[in-house]
Formats: sequence, structure tokens, C-alpha cells
Amino acid sequence: MPATQRAIRRATNKTIPRVFSIFSLMALALILSILPKVSADAALPRVELTADNIGPRHMEDLTSKSVPRDYALAWQSLAQALEENRRDLLNGYFTGLAKEKLTQKIADQRKNGLHLRYEDRGHKLAGLFYSPSGDAMQLRDDAALQIQVVDGDKVIQTEQLTLHYMVLMTPGADRWLVRDLETIPEGKP
Amino acid sequence: MSAALTSFLLSILLTTAVLSRAADLRAPAEITAGTSFSIRGGGAGQGTFYLIGPASGTKRPVDLASDIQVESEEVERAGRYTAIACGGDQCSSTHFYVRPGPPDRLSLIVHPSRVPVSNPNAISAVAVVFDEFHNLIVTPQSVKFTVTPTEGSSLSQSRDTQNGIAWIRLSSAPKGGPAKLEAAIGKTFEIRVVQQVASDACNLQIKSSWISQHLVLETNPVRDCGGNFVPDGTVVSFTKTDEAGKTTVDVPLKKGIAKVQMLVSGHAHITVASGVVTGNELNISGGR
Repeated sequence: MPATQRAIRRATNKTIPRVFSIFSLMALALILSILPKVSADAALPRVELTADNIGPRHMEDLTSKSVPRDYALAWQSLAQALEENRRDLLNGYFTGLAKEKLTQKIADQRKNGLHLRYEDRGHKLAGLFYSPSGDAMQLRDDAALQIQVVDGDKVIQTEQLTLHYMVLMTPGADRWLVRDLETIPEGKP
Repeated sequence: MSAALTSFLLSILLTTAVLSRAADLRAPAEITAGTSFSIRGGGAGQGTFYLIGPASGTKRPVDLASDIQVESEEVERAGRYTAIACGGDQCSSTHFYVRPGPPDRLSLIVHPSRVPVSNPNAISAVAVVFDEFHNLIVTPQSVKFTVTPTEGSSLSQSRDTQNGIAWIRLSSAPKGGPAKLEAAIGKTFEIRVVQQVASDACNLQIKSSWISQHLVLETNPVRDCGGNFVPDGTVVSFTKTDEAGKTTVDVPLKKGIAKVQMLVSGHAHITVASGVVTGNELNISGGR
């Protein structure tokens, strides 16, 4: 084989992987820019879980770590979705009735030029029910929040309050999803 | 000139402020989902009314002097609502809770969908009670669970909900076949079917015969201890030990029977097993 051909082949062998790696990086960047994402600067809300009185199934160690983590991520995405009126942000941690209700809320807000600004000051989760087969969990959340109602750019109301939620979570492929999220008056149940 | 203009502008602003003024809103503390009601305004002039609920965020112009009508479809979702009325630069707000209506829907989760027979507490059923708008009803309700096996009479038990959830654990029946599991509250009910399948094989028996030079091994119809046929596809393992060594052949059940042909060298010892169950053993002499 002539020396020039060998040189061309060596150069080609080096160039092709580089081109592929550049294309891979570009493709990865494109995918990441398309995927719905929760902004990194929004701090993860603080969630404390008490599972002493949960039953009939005992909460496993791994579950007792993943439930508060996933619930915090759910609230982080909820706050961002309601502030930016973006339904796509609900896909990660909401399903069923909870997703349906929040989707409707975002559609309403978008239509009326409104958005809500949440400042999350932490959640106290108490486990109430964990089904025998481990496929449903009910919790109560005492959530400390500041909520601002914003019309266009104008803040029309700011409230600091503790809201009480009944939460139904079900396991998904790799995380716990919020299936229902309903505010209840103080003292119930 | 400028003083006159300033006083004119001020008078307009003051008039607007007087004409458009939001007063304290008054709403009932609690209402039932899907019920229309009115919020007392008591302000003056034209303004904007906002209603922020669990599944809503609406805005509309209102006359602040009149009562503000909230339509039934605006309050179908249970939870906390914030009503805000703004006139001029002034806003006032109130809160109210929408509580769920009477029970109207059930969500029933049954696990597993297939279960071996005679298995104590193997089936779990969880019922969640909602109103017609899918609001969770947290006040105690009585849910009736009924199991109807293929053969035999149905059994019922009632359980009160706690925070909207009632659950029960059930044992599977001794006989295989589908069992209907129903949860009911009032006229509302939900049904799931659990397939009860045979348990492990019981009294596994094999017999032998010869076809040409091959030893043919065949099980009797494989059943569990309750007499239910073990499902086709269940693996039966035949193990032969002879002069050539030890050979194991795994055969799935077909029409309740597992069958295999083997070559035998001299004296052979045959065993059979399915899962953790072992069957009879055969000693075959004089391989052909």
C-alpha cells in the first residue's frame, strides 16, 4: 500500500471517531434542551416524613427515603409549572387525578394571564396508609407556603400559610408519583 | 394652569377610587362540591374577580356593589379556594373550602391478578371512595366487599373507610378458577376478577415404557393437593443416572402431562421433580 494511502487511512481512522463524538455531544445537547426540565436554581423543598403510624404494611427503608425525595421533587416541579404555566413539567411526578387537576389549573391560568408564585417553606409528611401489596400510599402533608397570585406582572395577593393536604401516591417505574393531592380544612382528619 | 390641571387629575383619581372600591368579601366557610353560591361584595363600581381553586384560576369583571355569583361548575373540585376582588388599586380576599359531595365513585385496586389456591391472606383489595367529581371523601363510609368464587356461595364483609380508604385481605379458595371481587357503596360498585390457579404439584407420579431403543417417561396428570390441574407450561424435571452419567431434561406440561424420551445405558435410576416437589423414583434395568 502506498504511503499516501496509509496516511489517509490513519487520518480517517482518527477523524471519524472525533466527528462521531462531536455529533453525539450535539445530539445530547439537543435532547437535553428539548426535555422538560426543572430549573436547577429552584432549591428542593424540605420534606420530613413520619411513618410510625403507617399501616397495614410497614414502610421499607428504601421507600422511606424515596417517598420524601420524590414528593419534594413533585412540589418543586409543581411550583415551577404553576409559575411558568407549563403543563409539561407535571409529567415527571404527577399522575391520575392530581395531574388532571393541575393541568386544568394551568390551562385556566394561561387563559386568564395569571400565575402563582410559590415559596416553599417545607412539608411535614405523615404516613397514614400503605396498602398490603405496596401499590398505594396515603399521607397527610402540613405544608408551609407563601403563595402569590400574579395577574400579568402585578402581584395581587400574597399569603403566608400552612395548608393541609391528603396525598395519594403510587409507585411508578422508578419513582413514587403523586396521584391525588387535596387540601383539607385544618383538623381533618 | 398647572395647578388647575393637577386638581382636575386628582379629582378624577379620587372619583375613580370612590367609584371602584373593593370591600371585604364574605363567603360561606364551607360549601358542597358542585353547588352554586354567592359571595357578598359590598364594594363600589366595577372591578375584577379572581377565583383560585385546586383545578382553576379564573378572572372576570364584576360589579363590586353586587353579590358575586359563583357557578356550580367553578367549584366542582374539593379543597381550598381563594376569592379575590380588586377595584382600583385595592384588593380584598376571602377563603372557603369546598367539601366533597355524597359517595358516587369507587376506585378498587386488587392485587395480585393471579393467585395460587388455598393461600391465606394472599389477595388484597383496597377501595378508595370519591364523590361524583372525583373528590376523595375523608369522612367514614362503609364499603362492602363481596367475593364470589366459581363454585360455592359468595362471602361479604363490610369495612369502614379511614381517610377515604377501606381495605381487606382475603384467602384464595381451595378450588381454582376465576373469583369475582366486588366493592360496593350504596348503588356504586366496582368489580375485579382474580384468577385462582393450582398450587404446587402434589403426588407427582411417573411411569415408563419403551419405544424402540428409547425409554419413554410420562407423568400422570399433574394436580395440586386440592385436585386442581397444575397449569400447562409448568416445568417438570426428569433426571436419569446411568452408566453414561447424569442427565436432566426439563419438560413443560402439555395438557396436564409431561413426557420425555431418553436413551439408557445399562441400569438407570430415574427421578422426577416439579419446583420443590419430588415424585416417585424408577429403577430401570437392561437398557436396550
